[in-house]
Amino acid sequence: MLGAEAMRPGLRIAVTFAVWIALFLLPLTVDDWRLTQLAQFVSYGIFAMSLAFVWGQSGLLCFGHAIFFGIGGYAMAVLTKGMLPGWPQGTAFGLCAATLLPGLLALLAGTLMFRGRGLSGAYFAIVTLAAAVIVERSASHWTFIGGFNGLLGIPPLRAGTSELVDALPAYYTLLGFAALVFGLLLWIERSPLGTALRAIRDNETRTAYFGFDVAVYKTLGFAIAGGIAGFAGGLFVTQFGFVSPALIGVPLSTEVLIWTALGGREVLLAAFLGALLVRTVEAALSDLLGYYWLLGLGVLFILTVVLFPSGLLGRALALPLPQRLRPPRERTR
Amino acid sequence: MTQVLILTLDAANFMLALLLVTLGLVIIFGLMNVINMAHGELFLLGAYSVVLVERAGGSYWLALLAAPALLALIGLLIEELVVRHVYHRFIDTILATWGLSLVIKQAVIIAFGPTAQQVSNPLPQPVEILGAVYPAFRLFIMAVSVGVAAGIFFLFYRSRLGLAARAVIANRPMASTLGINTRRMDRMTFALGAALAGLAGAVMAPLMSVDPQMGVGFLIPAFLSILVGGTGSLLGALLGTTLIAGSSSVVSSIWTQIVAQMVVFGLAIVVIRLFPQGLTGARR
Repeated sequence: MLGAEAMRPGLRIAVTFAVWIALFLLPLTVDDWRLTQLAQFVSYGIFAMSLAFVWGQSGLLCFGHAIFFGIGGYAMAVLTKGMLPGWPQGTAFGLCAATLLPGLLALLAGTLMFRGRGLSGAYFAIVTLAAAVIVERSASHWTFIGGFNGLLGIPPLRAGTSELVDALPAYYTLLGFAALVFGLLLWIERSPLGTALRAIRDNETRTAYFGFDVAVYKTLGFAIAGGIAGFAGGLFVTQFGFVSPALIGVPLSTEVLIWTALGGREVLLAAFLGALLVRTVEAALSDLLGYYWLLGLGVLFILTVVLFPSGLLGRALALPLPQRLRPPRERTR
Repeated sequence: MTQVLILTLDAANFMLALLLVTLGLVIIFGLMNVINMAHGELFLLGAYSVVLVERAGGSYWLALLAAPALLALIGLLIEELVVRHVYHRFIDTILATWGLSLVIKQAVIIAFGPTAQQVSNPLPQPVEILGAVYPAFRLFIMAVSVGVAAGIFFLFYRSRLGLAARAVIANRPMASTLGINTRRMDRMTFALGAALAGLAGAVMAPLMSVDPQMGVGFLIPAFLSILVGGTGSLLGALLGTTLIAGSSSVVSSIWTQIVAQMVVFGLAIVVIRLFPQGLTGARR
């Protein structure tokens, strides 16, 4: 983090603001078709932020994070298509369900996994990987949710009676949600809860000896990330109009890991931009490069992991610590 | 009766094939504390090296020797270029090897195309055992696996090299102060693990459709096996593969293979949760 330390705290905050302003001004420079695509990528970005939160802050490397994204997407699809008679079909209810269902599931899974002599490190990674395989298989054999073919014709976001079908309002709605999620996760990160999570990440045993119930904190962090990932999935399907088992399994879980690692696992905005940038470049180059695109991305991923563990953008976008956590000499009076 | 016999043979066959993959994984994990997510792709490379040798006009038996040798080299290369740099960051070894698995898989797709390749069965005649007709090649696989496993057990528990390796597993700093070159040990371990994966791939190639996705199908059961059995010893790997392969053979004979996979993965997760040290691991 040498680069980050060298930069003055004020400057680093300014960079973060500049990025958000640039994102809000983006529609001035791109056409509608790209904007529609960007709106989808923004929901991927929210997804990446949720992973950065659970992995970068809480130290839980989740290889099945798409499970929550996919459940959110399916919940949104099933509700807004009116497949459950008697249930509300509105956007707001759909998004709530898409957040709460995966969130509660993560809470339950976290309780089961972390309580007592819980799973840690590598075991957690492998168990979530196996879980992603199971969930993907189940989704492609469950005929109610469309099986292997998934569900088509998911309505777009609705505000009141009007549907957000145009590119511009859809983009701004998604970006607004992204900013909201960013604010929420940043607030949690900088709250005492966030401090405890980072303490667990850095040294679980020591944190436990300080009297923190480690399992409860980890479960909470996991549940928050699961809920946000589900929310992102709910938003995504309204933009994409289609949900399939591809959104719930290992491939997407891998992709989100790559975006987050390339951007910067410990910094929310870096992960968000990582998703946006990788997807944008992929959209522009994957036709041209074909199979070589994934090969190059994989090589870049390995290089980043080995040489720049804090990601390619992480240093530039890392925010200064909250005042109360800074060493005394750095405090501004 | 013959039904039961065939089922038992199928289960034993799957278990022994899985054991070949798992042994490589558990050696790398136990000795180096590296979770090798690219192990499935090393298996894949083993299978494709058979395709390569057969295309060049070589026989299957030649490929069976070439595959482990080639993979040992690739293992050395991977250790030197990637794994060496992330030893001290445990989680990053998972990520780096995961990235490697993507790269290898993609390189195979570019070199051979995404479609399945055919490998001829070198022993097409079935044989009759106790009234059941069984493919001879499957029996050959079982023999290879038993032979290799016995060899590995001998190497680890009856040779000086194995003694040194177990010393490194038990206490790495202590072993290095006793004059064991842990750096060389790591290199050899990774090469051996890779060679085992390559051998497994080459052995299984005639039975499976050789396509770029075949690695993952073995990676997850192999990982679950070592976690269920316990990571501390080779016996754990033996127990784990027996349980995973046995139960999935039994369940898939009752329902379908997909149900079997789901049930077995689910059960394995429960076992891992209840016994975080594995079934053979010491209770803490």
